[in-house]
Amino acid sequence: MCAFIEWKDKKIVYKRYASLFFVACVNSDDNELITLEKIHLFVEILDRYFGNVCELDIIFNFHRAYHILDELMIGGYLQDTSKKEVLKSCSTMDDMMDDEKEIGAGGNGSRRNSSKK
Amino acid sequence: MSIKLRDLIRSVRSCKTASEERSVISRESAMIRTAIREEQEQFRHRNVAKLLFMHMLGYATHFGQLECLKLIASPHFPEKRIGYLGLMLLLSEEADVLMLATNSLKNDLNHSNQFIVGLALCTIGNLATPDMSRDLATEVDKHLRSGSPYIRKKAALAMARCLTKCPDMVEDFVERIVSLLKDRSHGVLITAVQLMSCVCEIEPEVGKGSFVRLVPSLVRLLRNLLSMGYSPEHDVSGISDPFLQVHLLRLMTVLGEGNEEASEQMNDILAQVATNTETAKNAGNAILYECVQCIMTVESEEGLRVLAINILGRFLLNRDNNIRYVALNTLGKVVLQDSAAVQRHRNTIVDCLKDPDVSIRTRALDLIFKLVNLDNVEGLTAELLNYLVVCQSENKSDICTRTLGVVDKFSPNERWRVDTLITLLTIAGKDCDDRVLSASSTYIASSKDGVKAYAVHKLVKAMRDDDGTQEGLLIVAIWCIGEFGDMLLNPHTSENGVSYQALEPLNVISEVEGVTKQVTCTNAIRQRALTCFAKLTVRFAHCDAGVVQKLRVLVNKFKASINLELQIRACEYSNLIVEGGSGKGSLARMPVVDPKVAGKKSLRGSMSSGGIDAGAIANSSIPGGGGAVGGGQDVGGDLLDLLDLGGGTPAAAPAAAPTTNQSAIQTAQSTDADLLSDIFAAPMPTPSGAPTVVPPAMGGGGGGGDLLGDMFRGTPAPLAPVAQAPAPAAMPPQPPVVDMFAPQPVAPAGNGGTTANPTFTAFSKDNLTIEFETRKEDLSSQSCEVVATFKNSGFADMTGMNFQVAVPKYITMEMLPPSGTTVPCNGGGNVSQVVKVTNTQMGTKKLMMKLKISYTCAGAKVEEMATASGFPVGY
Repeated sequence: MCAFIEWKDKKIVYKRYASLFFVACVNSDDNELITLEKIHLFVEILDRYFGNVCELDIIFNFHRAYHILDELMIGGYLQDTSKKEVLKSCSTMDDMMDDEKEIGAGGNGSRRNSSKK
Repeated sequence: MSIKLRDLIRSVRSCKTASEERSVISRESAMIRTAIREEQEQFRHRNVAKLLFMHMLGYATHFGQLECLKLIASPHFPEKRIGYLGLMLLLSEEADVLMLATNSLKNDLNHSNQFIVGLALCTIGNLATPDMSRDLATEVDKHLRSGSPYIRKKAALAMARCLTKCPDMVEDFVERIVSLLKDRSHGVLITAVQLMSCVCEIEPEVGKGSFVRLVPSLVRLLRNLLSMGYSPEHDVSGISDPFLQVHLLRLMTVLGEGNEEASEQMNDILAQVATNTETAKNAGNAILYECVQCIMTVESEEGLRVLAINILGRFLLNRDNNIRYVALNTLGKVVLQDSAAVQRHRNTIVDCLKDPDVSIRTRALDLIFKLVNLDNVEGLTAELLNYLVVCQSENKSDICTRTLGVVDKFSPNERWRVDTLITLLTIAGKDCDDRVLSASSTYIASSKDGVKAYAVHKLVKAMRDDDGTQEGLLIVAIWCIGEFGDMLLNPHTSENGVSYQALEPLNVISEVEGVTKQVTCTNAIRQRALTCFAKLTVRFAHCDAGVVQKLRVLVNKFKASINLELQIRACEYSNLIVEGGSGKGSLARMPVVDPKVAGKKSLRGSMSSGGIDAGAIANSSIPGGGGAVGGGQDVGGDLLDLLDLGGGTPAAAPAAAPTTNQSAIQTAQSTDADLLSDIFAAPMPTPSGAPTVVPPAMGGGGGGGDLLGDMFRGTPAPLAPVAQAPAPAAMPPQPPVVDMFAPQPVAPAGNGGTTANPTFTAFSKDNLTIEFETRKEDLSSQSCEVVATFKNSGFADMTGMNFQVAVPKYITMEMLPPSGTTVPCNGGGNVSQVVKVTNTQMGTKKLMMKLKISYTCAGAKVEEMATASGFPVGY
């Protein structure tokens, strides 16, 4: 079966990975084969990030998956073709999050104690 | 105490039923709303994360929108990150609160931390409204020149969104975009190329104008990619950066289209890509696909095009479904330019029609319709009909209509065309458009007798085999049976060896009756069946009397129908078909419609007032009522009055012009004079007075397609047009009418002129002689009686004698019933019929008549047409 479905005036391109379907919707005149490659690029990045990604990883860390997607695509356009670059910026931002959390935890410790609900 | 995101997800996943899930969600939703109301800051980002999860599951989360805005304004990075994500997911472009984010975005765009700037740019790239774009465009533009490639690439895509929303800003930023191409980072390159494609899409003239000079740079970039060698960072299955290659090719397609010079610069690199790219993996095929599309769109040279088509051919044979789909899609676009090359792959394409995948089947179907030509039409139509059997019903109607188009244009012969249409109806009768039904009937009616017989036999068989569901088939079949039922009584063997036995009249009737009795029979079918029964009383008139009686009984049954339309028809028909009624005239066979003009007329609608739309012939159930062929013995009054009913246009009569469109248009605006001249098979000089020379063999033209003109097609000689016409110089002279059948008519005036009642032979052929005797009470009156006497000198009786007359405009006529319809053989007796005529131009013009005689003699039906003009002067 081919991986393209014509839907209204657009096309749906999907790729199946185990039990998950990754679906993209593109214009009728877009290159479907390269869309499949873009989907695969995203999946490979997820795999590298989570280390052998499985469905549960994505379910419990959907916000991280979104952050990765935001580093790969904006407005439907591809941002970068290098997995290394995308993962680098993702990990830098994760570090920043952890730093801030530590700072926040230390600074807000007193606040948390006092505002029990 | 609000729970962590992880715990919420876990509890939702552990729910066994949907209602359990709903209650978990609503409980948490209530807690979040409480937290929002109480302005709890420390859990805000966690709450928004939970809201995002609930939003993904499909629950209402609009109350969290303002929370996102508050998060964005926070100085902490984690909160900003979740805040922007929430903004992008929970809000859409139409949300009003989005405006409130503009200020935060502006602040963040000027932040020192590049990741925060990145967040802001990302949000703009996904969400910006036109107003926001206008506000923030300059800020975004500033970042296009940023030192960090990370920021530059995001700024490029944010700019793409801004320009899409505000196309008028394009000119301001075009120059900056150009400078991005010099970047070394692939991220910036690919975003820049996509930005340029986007600009070319929204403002083609500006975009192409500014970017076309960059084609050499693009070519160079592509060449570098190809010769780059292995780069682990950008490698995808052995190809370096296929994404950038594809987008470069895309941009080159846009820039090279219509531009000779640019296309020339691309020739080499396109050839190189086409020949050197690896086809083992999807990435390589993606590049080849884009390359082929580029070659076929730009002004490339012949050799390159051949190369491209060959690549597509290879794709078509690939086992991978995706590749085959892509090939079919592209071939569909290419077939107009180079159909010979695509024809070579016809067999593969036909195989794709049988593929299990629906997308491939759709593409193959499209392509086949584009590939049909005179050589392959038979084979391809067979394939299409096979496909029609298995395809989904929503597509059937469309396929039927398109197949009709194919049949219209490319039919090799009549029999094949009729065959194909009947098969089409058998397979998909209930899904067919009305146009298909009327076209089928028109084609059958306009074909040769042999084909007609074949068609009606085949239709009866199909009707018998059908289980009552294919409404379209039943409608056409019943109409044909009504029209051509007499052909069913004879066996038929067609050229392809299929032979049909003769049917008994009662069998035929019971077939049609059986259809009306089925549960699935609609009223439309019953209406047509009624008409069919009525017509069959005439077609089977020569059969056993019980047959006609049965038909009358069947029609009468519907007089008590609940449906008003059926009741009316039954009452009217039963009056029409009583013994000795006027049924014969009104229910005679319809004249032939030219399919082309029928199609044109149905498009034009009915120009005439109340005229019967020719295109609705198949659907009309009134048997030529408005334009009855022949005098209609009891109808009385003027034949031509009937024609005038239609506003004097031939559209009033079901017949349409067999040949020239010109005459059809002419007569559509015709004056009465035109109408008359049509009768005499002479094209009228146009009302503008342009002279027309009438070719003698115009007979076949049938004039303006008036039904009578059609009837009298056989007459070769042009006849005088009527005095009412504006008299142009080259009007054909008043010739003595040359009757090709009759021996010289007995000279009227003078010969036996002293007798009070001049007689002459109006018609004589095949043992039938008709003599006209003109009688007048008062020599000065314009009215006289013409007594027609039929004599049979052969040795077989002539039964079912049907005599019809048409007269020019200046004559009014009334026909009385004949003394009988059987002319005994060997002169055993005569049949006579009186025709009363009034010549309004008495003295100026002689009487003239056109005759149509039909009868059955020795089992064979005979139809003759003639002109009677031996009338004496002074009548």
